[in-house]
Amino acid sequence: MANSVEEIQKSKKTYLLVFGALLIGTIVTVLVATVEALDIGEHGFDKWDAILGMLIATTKATLVGLIFMHLNHEKKAIYWIFISALVLCASMFAILFLAKYSPIFDSYFYL
Amino acid sequence: MEIPYIVNARKDTGLFNAKIAIWLFLASEVMLFGGFFSAYVFMRLGADYPWPERTLPVLPGLINTFVLIGSSVTVVFAWAALKLRNWRQFQIYMWITVICALIFMVLKGVEYNVKFHHQAVRLKDYTVLEGHLAYIDGTKIEKNRIKLELNPGSTITYNNLRVHDAWVEEILAEAKAAGATLKLAAEVKGAEGFSDADTIYFAKDADLTVELLDKFEKAHIKARNHNQKIRTQALRDAWKVAEKQNPNKSNWEYSDKVSIDQEAIKSKLLTDIPAATFVADKSFQISFKPRDVKEGPEQSKLRDDTVINAKLLPSPMDFHYLDAIDFQYLVMKAEKKGIKPEVAIENSWLLKNDPFAREAWAWHQANVDELKKRLIKDYGLDEKGNPNREPTHKELYRIGWKEFAKYGEETHKIKLSVTDKLKEEFMGPNYKARNPDEKESNSHDSHEEVAHGDSHDRVTFPHLSVPREQIGFASKFTPSWNTYYAIYFTITGLHGLHVVGGAIVLAYYLFFGRRMYEENPEWLCNRVEVGGLFWHFVDLIWIFVFPILYLM
Repeated sequence: MANSVEEIQKSKKTYLLVFGALLIGTIVTVLVATVEALDIGEHGFDKWDAILGMLIATTKATLVGLIFMHLNHEKKAIYWIFISALVLCASMFAILFLAKYSPIFDSYFYL
Repeated sequence: MEIPYIVNARKDTGLFNAKIAIWLFLASEVMLFGGFFSAYVFMRLGADYPWPERTLPVLPGLINTFVLIGSSVTVVFAWAALKLRNWRQFQIYMWITVICALIFMVLKGVEYNVKFHHQAVRLKDYTVLEGHLAYIDGTKIEKNRIKLELNPGSTITYNNLRVHDAWVEEILAEAKAAGATLKLAAEVKGAEGFSDADTIYFAKDADLTVELLDKFEKAHIKARNHNQKIRTQALRDAWKVAEKQNPNKSNWEYSDKVSIDQEAIKSKLLTDIPAATFVADKSFQISFKPRDVKEGPEQSKLRDDTVINAKLLPSPMDFHYLDAIDFQYLVMKAEKKGIKPEVAIENSWLLKNDPFAREAWAWHQANVDELKKRLIKDYGLDEKGNPNREPTHKELYRIGWKEFAKYGEETHKIKLSVTDKLKEEFMGPNYKARNPDEKESNSHDSHEEVAHGDSHDRVTFPHLSVPREQIGFASKFTPSWNTYYAIYFTITGLHGLHVVGGAIVLAYYLFFGRRMYEENPEWLCNRVEVGGLFWHFVDLIWIFVFPILYLM
């Protein structure tokens, strides 16, 4: 972690760079979703738009985590906490596959 | 006792106490929001209706993204300023952060407010209409009530346990205004105490009052409790008798022989009064919100189980401004049945009954044809001769307010200033400016319908009266409208609460941190870092919320 004056001054520059990157990322997200010429995949929203949108968002989130939240300077302990949370979070999404591959055959769901 | 690692980090983990605490908390937050995002995916994949794609206004969401990212930078700068022991700079950056949080919440509030006042209705044929209900003289009068007419002999039957007093009073007020009264249909005998002498009588023709219904309720509960005791005792006695008659047997073997002598206990029971019926002597009308009543042509039922035997009057839902026509749901249902979309749309109630909708739809069809041609021209055909790019369902089957606005601009030469148009991006359509020739509403006589725009009137958003029998489901744009709005309000609402919570903590350091700064600046520095970590997390969540809810 930055503790000396020079280090902090230096990291302030990094913060501004990340700020710029986040702004650009946001604008790109909006442009690929709204400008027809930049639309990937089929016309309008489809899975490719979802994948691209999530890729940009994940990149932005990683930047925030690494630089703003100082994860790039931290020791192991935090990584253990955070990664286990992410694993559990991913398992939340995995529950969706249960619905996909083991559907409930009940007339209620076909109304 | 000195608590270790409050100010200085432990060497091996590199963490001070608060930091490990906030990271554990953030880990639980990741799972919380992860669960909701997972719910979003689940609902979207399983939706049995056309998912509202890219339906939220992008500009306010985009500004909010900038605001949150900006505040993330300022909060980390505030921390850096503290590290450098520059209180003044810390104050400035923290102020900007708190103001950013405020801007975010204001924009969010505007967005929510617009939804809470925007009406949607799904017709029986699955056409979806959106707009605003009647406004009169600037004050809003929703002409969206179920009207019932009571005639001499019409009855109202109350469930004495579930009477909602406010509705009784409403009905009484209407009756009084019409000079009518509601009288008890038949004599009612109830118990005040437990001996016969305590039995109280409510004579036939007693006037309906809240107090009378209250007495009924008390007498009913008393009788019910009393009767319950008598019946329980009788059942116990019956079991004892059966036990003696069937020695050496388990109770399940003789359970079918246990029975109560109903005749014997009859004299001990008190009369309960579960319901009371009142009769009207003159005609009068009453009205209720649609959510409060399940209406029928001859008999309607209120939510408190009050049964009203009265004639249902025409109770249309009046859109003062209709601002979207959506056939996506209708087309989805039609395709399931194997009906061509065009045929289903032509036969919809709306196109058959509303000339304005027909004109707008014809205009829309011409636009769609042009779009199809342009897409073929720009992106060509594949080897089978099919277009590479085709219009989306939304483009094909929905006329949103922006298209209505374009229609008005093209056909009626309605022009709006740039600032008005910018305002529309936040607040939704500007009905006044886009309906310049609209006649003043008939504010003095609410029975007279607002005049339908003549053909030479410049109307962008028309009036539309939807008959009650055509309405399948109606709601404001709230969680009850569909699962998209349910998950939208859940995720953004929870995120908004985090913004408020984080801003309060950061504002606390800003306003009450001075003393700690003078005593132990490094400790305050740690606190700001931890508050900042939470703030970055809130920003991180929004980075996902914005594309998922606004752009997908």
